[in-house]
Amino acid sequence: MGKRFLFIIVTISVVFLSGIWAHAASTAKIGFTYIMSGPFSAYGQFAKQGAEMAIAEINAAGGINGMKVEGFFEDSTGKADVALRAIRKLVYQDKVDMLIGLDSSGVAKTVVPAIEKMKTPLIITHAATPDVTGSVCNKYTFRISLNLAQNVKAAALLAKETGAKKWTTVGPDYAFGHQSWEYFEKYLKELNPEATFLPKNKVAFPPFKTTDFSSYITKVMSSKPDGVFISLWGGNLIDFVRQASDMGFFNGDFQVLMSLGGAIEVLTALGDKMPEGLWVGSRYWFQANDSAINKKFVASYLKKYGAYPSYNAHGAYSAVYAYKAAAEKAKSLDKEGIAKALEGLKIEIPTGLVEIRKGDHQAITDAHWGKTSAAAGFSHRILKPIKIFKGADITPSIAETGCSM
Amino acid sequence: MEYLLLNTLNGLSWGMLLFLISVGLTTVFGVLGVLNFAHGSLFMLGAYLCMQAMQYFDSFWLGLLVGPLCAVVVGVLMEKFLLKQVYGRDVSFQLLLTFAVLLILDDGVRMIWGSGYHVVDPPVLLSGVMSVAGQDYPVYRLFLILVGPLIGALLWSFFHFTRWGKTIRAASFDNIMAEGVGINVPLIYTAVFALGTWLAALGGALAAPQQSLVPSMGEKIIIESFIVVVVGGLGSFPGAFAGALLLGLLESFGTEFAGRMQMAIPYLLLAVILLVRPHGLFKKGV
Repeated sequence: MGKRFLFIIVTISVVFLSGIWAHAASTAKIGFTYIMSGPFSAYGQFAKQGAEMAIAEINAAGGINGMKVEGFFEDSTGKADVALRAIRKLVYQDKVDMLIGLDSSGVAKTVVPAIEKMKTPLIITHAATPDVTGSVCNKYTFRISLNLAQNVKAAALLAKETGAKKWTTVGPDYAFGHQSWEYFEKYLKELNPEATFLPKNKVAFPPFKTTDFSSYITKVMSSKPDGVFISLWGGNLIDFVRQASDMGFFNGDFQVLMSLGGAIEVLTALGDKMPEGLWVGSRYWFQANDSAINKKFVASYLKKYGAYPSYNAHGAYSAVYAYKAAAEKAKSLDKEGIAKALEGLKIEIPTGLVEIRKGDHQAITDAHWGKTSAAAGFSHRILKPIKIFKGADITPSIAETGCSM
Repeated sequence: MEYLLLNTLNGLSWGMLLFLISVGLTTVFGVLGVLNFAHGSLFMLGAYLCMQAMQYFDSFWLGLLVGPLCAVVVGVLMEKFLLKQVYGRDVSFQLLLTFAVLLILDDGVRMIWGSGYHVVDPPVLLSGVMSVAGQDYPVYRLFLILVGPLIGALLWSFFHFTRWGKTIRAASFDNIMAEGVGINVPLIYTAVFALGTWLAALGGALAAPQQSLVPSMGEKIIIESFIVVVVGGLGSFPGAFAGALLLGLLESFGTEFAGRMQMAIPYLLLAVILLVRPHGLFKKGV
């Protein structure tokens, strides 16, 4: 009886302990935080798809340093406090080795300072405010995606080419919209001293929850500009473009630049209602790069999800691979080691070769802009011609970013 | 001068949409005494079901007819199985229940139609622009300006001139007495909730060619509808009309003149009304 009891205890212990031991030794845990609910949940969905695809590919190819990768997904709901709670849960409860995510600049600005205390590396894949790799940068925070300053620098270069002088803007009424306009003003003024900019009370910053943009459209059109810089994104941009088309906004009275009009989710939703011949930017465009790695990414994504990858899918996908590269460089999953290894990491991702700059942890990555065009075989507009702005030409110097670590 | 006209039209078309949503909300409150938090989700459901019906029938008009009617089925089930449990109970029960329904409907829409954006075309008849006093203006928006008062007038006549309408008004004044004189109050309640659902869903279907369809799209409109209803007076029919017009116009002119303060306008209006006329612009009564 005693022997039998001992045997059971030992067996259970062995099974139990080996289970824990095997689990601890064989998985690399990545925690993802994106908007999974509410009107912007599409962005979380895209990121999750990109991340899951990368994880599946890596696991099929033998994992990271021989360990399987496991993803934990949390909903930020787009709110800073919720995102922070989600990240704390991932770090302290799920004990993830790595963090990836963040959709909104507002969320990012709250989360980034807290990351330093959690001592867990974070790669931002969507939020674009320059501040997180600028004034509030820290040793654990990285960004693999194009930031606002880089994208807007490209916009300013294009704006100069159009020759338009009097500029105004339509942007979402929060950090992203306001900063986009400030940077546009700053860069274009440097490039073209003749350019003028309408004062704050003449430009349009519709609140994030706006669905009827008519009064903003009337306001911008009645200010009779030569050029309009638009930083609306997602559903806001879709609603704006449809209503603005109806009201004659795109009749050619002025130049129009849309910093995120090249997002595939916007183009697919609008279909042939996206006017042709507008300059639009995106953080990733599936046709901008001919490399094998991009072709494979687009083909697998198309096969798996039946759609072209969005910039958010691309960001999450690339961040997982950046983590793999850093873990291989550091030869461990140790958080400090990973944070060190990510500094100065050079990696080829679908958008091209990027370098995560040591000084501010921002990826030096190209900006893709293009003119909206109809094309055979596509039910939505594509970017043609495509204009590629080299990362080195559009990224502010470290001194300019204000980052000191 | 042209801005005056354009902003008036902008305000009217948005205000009329707001009116359709608010009038349903206020009717349900007036008769059932329930503040339906899920009203915005029924608006969303109307838009999605209209889109689905449009794809099926290949006609906007049939979508406009069938979509909201399908939403009514959901509304009736909601009233019969859920709302019934909270009649006459503390308002917090109603808010919790209808908020739960809101979450379920939002997630349900995401599961069925996905989390991406959808866009619906206006019918050919209503696309393009029309000249209004020398200004080009989208025909669809003018259509919205006409449809609002039309539905409002039909509803008003229904409540004032038909037997059913009068019965509903009687039940809303005193449901115990109404029951006593042989009126089937539970049936009336279901019918009124169905009507409220239909109005919300119709608003959603009418909004579909204007704004993209996305889960939780009812969140913004429900807040503004609450403001409209409180400003106009809870349960008041003309109040909803006046409140919606006022809010629509204030918002469109606010964009031109108030700058960043525009965002605060609905709440300022609400605060002023609550201070000056706590019962709203119009007295209670359906």
